[in-house]
Amino acid sequence: MKPAIALVIALGALTAASPASAQARAAGATGLFDATGDAPMISLRPFLDVSNEKFLAVKTFDAIFGETSAQFWGGGLQVTGWHGRVYGELGASRLMKKNEQLVGQRVFVSDGKVYKLGIALRSTVKPVEFTAGYRFNAHPRIIPYVGAGFGSYRYTEQSDFADDSENVDVTKRGGIFHAGVELRAHRWIGAAIDAQYTHIPGILGNGGVSQQFAQESTTQAKKERDLGGWAARLKVVVGR
Amino acid sequence: MPRFRARTIAATLGVAAALVLTLRGQAPDARPFLQIADIGLPAVEEGGAVWNESHVPWTSQARAGRAAGVELVRAGVSGRSYATGKVIVRFRDEVAAEERRSIVRQASSTGEIATRRPYADFDIVRINPGEDAEAVAAGLNLRPQVLYAQAAYRVHATFVPNDPQYADLQWNLRLVNMEKAWDIQPQAGSSITVAVIDTGVAYRNATFSVNLRSFTHAGIRYPALGVQTIPYAAAPQLVGGSGSGRVVAPYDVISSGGNSPFDFDGHGTHVSGTIGQLTNDGIGTAGVAFNVKLMPLKVLCGDWDILFGTPAARCSTDDQVALAIRYAADNGAKVINMSLGRTSPSTCAANRNAPGCAPAVEDAMNYAVSKGVFIAVSAGNDFDRGNPTETPAEIASRIKGAVSVAAVDLSKNHARYSSSGSWVELAAPGGGGGNDDLGYIWQQTLDFRFVNTFDLPVAQYRAPRFDVMAYIGYDGTSMAAPHVVGVAAMLMQQGITDPAAVEDALEKTAIDLGASGRDDLFGFGLIDARNALFGKGMTK
Repeated sequence: MKPAIALVIALGALTAASPASAQARAAGATGLFDATGDAPMISLRPFLDVSNEKFLAVKTFDAIFGETSAQFWGGGLQVTGWHGRVYGELGASRLMKKNEQLVGQRVFVSDGKVYKLGIALRSTVKPVEFTAGYRFNAHPRIIPYVGAGFGSYRYTEQSDFADDSENVDVTKRGGIFHAGVELRAHRWIGAAIDAQYTHIPGILGNGGVSQQFAQESTTQAKKERDLGGWAARLKVVVGR
Repeated sequence: MPRFRARTIAATLGVAAALVLTLRGQAPDARPFLQIADIGLPAVEEGGAVWNESHVPWTSQARAGRAAGVELVRAGVSGRSYATGKVIVRFRDEVAAEERRSIVRQASSTGEIATRRPYADFDIVRINPGEDAEAVAAGLNLRPQVLYAQAAYRVHATFVPNDPQYADLQWNLRLVNMEKAWDIQPQAGSSITVAVIDTGVAYRNATFSVNLRSFTHAGIRYPALGVQTIPYAAAPQLVGGSGSGRVVAPYDVISSGGNSPFDFDGHGTHVSGTIGQLTNDGIGTAGVAFNVKLMPLKVLCGDWDILFGTPAARCSTDDQVALAIRYAADNGAKVINMSLGRTSPSTCAANRNAPGCAPAVEDAMNYAVSKGVFIAVSAGNDFDRGNPTETPAEIASRIKGAVSVAAVDLSKNHARYSSSGSWVELAAPGGGGGNDDLGYIWQQTLDFRFVNTFDLPVAQYRAPRFDVMAYIGYDGTSMAAPHVVGVAAMLMQQGITDPAAVEDALEKTAIDLGASGRDDLFGFGLIDARNALFGKGMTK
């Protein structure tokens, strides 16, 4: 199912499933609402998100895939507490590509020049992330937040003509930091925009071109060991 | 030079010296023989001593396996790769279509039975590519209505040439992992031209008229045979009989193009066979890059070149090697094989103008590499003769984009003759000699029994024939270098077009032998064609 369609269906379903008591309070409002003042002590808030991630290992991704960023889509559940001041969220995401795969080709790198060999290589990245943070209830409908957490990242890599031992299927943990702002368009629906930094060691840098780039004596070299990167995320949140 | 010929070198020198005396009145620029026709009868092909008809042909199933490679694949719990998005199922015949659909739906919510293809007694169930096909198959196998269900495990293309002597004699190609390399690149260097700077190549049919004069060899005087008509034929397994299309810009450097670069020795034809022998045609042996184009460049004289009247002084000199290298670079060659060499001082790196060094060759090699040409040079066969420094092997070690190649035997051991030193960069099969067929590198070339008639007793001495081909085993670093050249041609075909990068790829993917890291016996190690062509992924 395409992410956009899934998003619309989920929003519709979740909106329709609003509790009766909440609907009663909304009906009593005059059209304006105070999201921060309206927040319950604890709230469950499903969300869907799309993100564009710029990978730290730019030389590795550029060599293999000819691009250094990728789009993800995903979703999860956010729990806010203390009337919306703190939150924790669990989310999962997938590459927004056909078959959820980045498709590139194997290469040989010599003296900094990349030679593409025409042998197809397919990679997937499947993050499952948990973050927690603080929401600043400074404005009725504009809520900045910062958070940090950790994730589990499953990385697979398959090449044509590869023996099984040459394909990769590995899962590693990584760290997350993000900061953004949630805009409450409606008592039950908000949109959040944030920047997220992930640090995922242990997957890149141990072999292949990532290792070759990581062994160079440049400031970029350290980043070639990191599957993480900087992501701009757009999130639609349902719930108060 | 091959060790096969070692026994005849002394004899050749003796014959040459005798001829210089005998034929001193011959004008130095006279054509030593007369080619009276561009055509001749095709070669007589003689088989080797050992034949084995067992082979795995290049089947349609194998090709289908390669086609399967373009699908999304996944390594299952079983550890085997399968194509995602489908499961192979065979229902019991009595199970109705509606019940089949129901069973499939219970095993996979996205499962749909595809239209059965001709010849199939099973169905393909299409499922979401994200689903675990092995798990879906396991679920279906629990149902009594299902005879079997399995994931669509991926098969590999396994190209094993059907050339009958490949399996029995060509250990050398398996040693450098050629079968998997051919899986990656079945076109085997088809757009690349390889120059072979050697004794020439048996690449076309011809008929010669030669006045065979008397000569003295080892104190024995061989009689003049007078004007003889001598047949010459292309090696069918090298050029397919006619030579059309396979050979480009042939050139005889010795005669400045006055003659075609006919091989009267067999060495150059053998070397060319290892590089690009016609392969998978059900005949004879296989070659490494069996679709390359060949550029025969003659700089070395065989025995009969001398006996036909080419002055020994005009053969096999540095200037001719330099000219051949430049000719190759200017005429479209992308790879050069030089299975030749001589000893040199060890100080040429510091002072290339020292006596015994070869600055003309060095400049030519630099010129060729600067034009995008990769060069492989045999390291030399003098390990057990004092192991002197060899050139142009030593020069190659100083040029990024040219390599010197040592030899290993069947067991990946250092071949006892293979010169060693700091100039050795790579190793490849050269054979270990001995009485075993597997001590040699086998290719089709001139049958020495019809060529080296001067080795016969005087009473049996007769004119040679160059139209009889046989599969001959040679050993030497001359035989090692062509392996590297063939793989280099495939690397260029694969997209690594810079000769320095080709060298880099060969060295970084070589199998380290001997002392850890680069060493003087094996250089960076034994080349691995498949690893070189496979390159690198993100993490492996």
